[in-house]
Amino acid sequence: MTILTGKAEARPRLQPNGAGVLRKIWEHRVDYAYVLPAIAVMLIVIAYPIYYTIELSFFNTPPGLQLRDKIFIGLDNYTAILSSPVFWKVTSNTLIWTLGSTFIAFVLGFASALALHRDFVGRGLLRAVLIIPWVISAVAASYIWKWIYHSDFGIIGAVLVGLGLADRPPNFIDSVSTVLPSLIVVNIWREFPFAMIMMMAGLQTVPDQLLRAAKVDGANAWQRFWHVTFPHLRNVSTVTILLLAVANFNSFIIPWIMTGGGPSNASHIWITHIYELAFGRQRWGVASAYSVLLFLILMSLGYFYVRALSGNERKDGSA
Amino acid sequence: MSPISETAPGGQARRRMRIDGWRWGGRIFLVFMLLYTALPMIWMLITSIKSGFAAMQFPPQWWPDQPTLASYRKLLDPQNSVGRDFLRFFWNSLFVSTATTILSVIVAVPAAYAFSRFTFPGRNFLFFAVLLRNMFPAVIFLVPLFILMRAIGLVNTHGSLILTYLTFGLPLAIWLLKGFYDNIPVQLEQAARIDGATRFQAFILIVMPLSAPGIIATAIYSFIGAWNEYIYAYTFLSKNDQLTLPVGIQRFFSENTTDFPGLMAASFMMSVPVVVLFLVLQRYFVRALTEGAVKH
Repeated sequence: MTILTGKAEARPRLQPNGAGVLRKIWEHRVDYAYVLPAIAVMLIVIAYPIYYTIELSFFNTPPGLQLRDKIFIGLDNYTAILSSPVFWKVTSNTLIWTLGSTFIAFVLGFASALALHRDFVGRGLLRAVLIIPWVISAVAASYIWKWIYHSDFGIIGAVLVGLGLADRPPNFIDSVSTVLPSLIVVNIWREFPFAMIMMMAGLQTVPDQLLRAAKVDGANAWQRFWHVTFPHLRNVSTVTILLLAVANFNSFIIPWIMTGGGPSNASHIWITHIYELAFGRQRWGVASAYSVLLFLILMSLGYFYVRALSGNERKDGSA
Repeated sequence: MSPISETAPGGQARRRMRIDGWRWGGRIFLVFMLLYTALPMIWMLITSIKSGFAAMQFPPQWWPDQPTLASYRKLLDPQNSVGRDFLRFFWNSLFVSTATTILSVIVAVPAAYAFSRFTFPGRNFLFFAVLLRNMFPAVIFLVPLFILMRAIGLVNTHGSLILTYLTFGLPLAIWLLKGFYDNIPVQLEQAARIDGATRFQAFILIVMPLSAPGIIATAIYSFIGAWNEYIYAYTFLSKNDQLTLPVGIQRFFSENTTDFPGLMAASFMMSVPVVVLFLVLQRYFVRALTEGAVKH
């Protein structure tokens, strides 16, 4: 990403002194007007809720969310979380879910982008079909797959039984051992197109001359990929993987609709668990403390994200 | 880029064989991905034209003995309660998504332009703050936003959804559009300024038309995001006649736990608008991502 710093009008250079900043801000008051609507919306809907969540996490708020009756309890909500066995179960689920989905979705998306990169008949159509799962609603996707996994009439079970691989249809999403992998398959189905689009976009930035030069120099397809294509895609890969990881970390709909976190917490991830605590069991304080922890984890991920993006910009040799 | 004439590589049979190997590997992989992607959707369609009885059989009927459009007729018939609800949910979704889209564009365009063109104190910080919004899950904001909406009396209104959806789409919208504005030469505006246009006129008359593809991409993104959003709709709305499709469909399922043909028909109808919109305009979308998110 390049940032052009072409200004619509030349301005005098300012002396770097204390009053300079204020004067500069005043000078740029018109520029801020362009950004103000976006900033205002962000402040109301983002900054305020973040502050509020942090505050609620130190209080015990009675069910029904009666804010007048909230009692300050310090760090009790946090200690309650860390001492609960469910916390560790949910955390390990979240790790498996996030790492598994992100890695496989990225590999499948990247491979699809590479395979689609050469021209053939029907390429545009195929590309469009592969992107559809990403476009349709996650709620619809959840119900489609719920039906596919159905333990009595599900099509996968029927195929397995028909091929003699199983005596009766397996309980994909009703058994503790298979529920998480089954949901990850659905999640990858929804997400690999995003990785594919990003990597297709990245592939278009690889200079043809370089690839041709490598070809002339006798590099085979694998060497061309490894020494020319891949280095060019390092930044895009980093950003894509981070965005996927964050999206997976924040998933809610698929586990919530398909299993509601069950059976016996086997498919609860952080987000569904927080939702359950807040709106299911009305434990606002604990849910807020969870959110704050989540927030801290995401902030550290965000730090890497920004670093990856800045890396992009530094490579362009611009600010 | 001007195409350079192909230099014929030394035509050794062995090398060609290996390249063919990659090509066939790629094709086989694409066939696999096509099946993985398309079969669930095909199964949704086949199920949706079965009768309730035909769907509940083991082994399943791969193609229904008596295909029927009864499920679709039921959903689209304003005379019965199911159809009345479904059409109402559909209309609600359409209203909320359209309003969100229009507002997103109105807010994102000037902000993206500012990020692209001006340098002002705090500009980089603001830009990353906007990007970071992508990082946080809906759940973190849910409780405080619920309190906020309750305080300003927006719970159980579509306004609460529109306001929150606006912030979903904004970060990526601003990012995409900024990429577009970066690609529009500043000289064009400067020329307009020299001809006596104000900066605002230059923006409206020169920059806006040139960035139309970016704006279309942004609009699609906002619309699809709003159309498919579930958590806020599920939390903020409780009145039946306010619900949007994702929540409405869930209600349908909890009332008709065995009507899978009906559920698949509803899922299909819910997917049609966004898929059609995407297919018609995907070129812009992919291009916007190419130019905005990933640049040389």
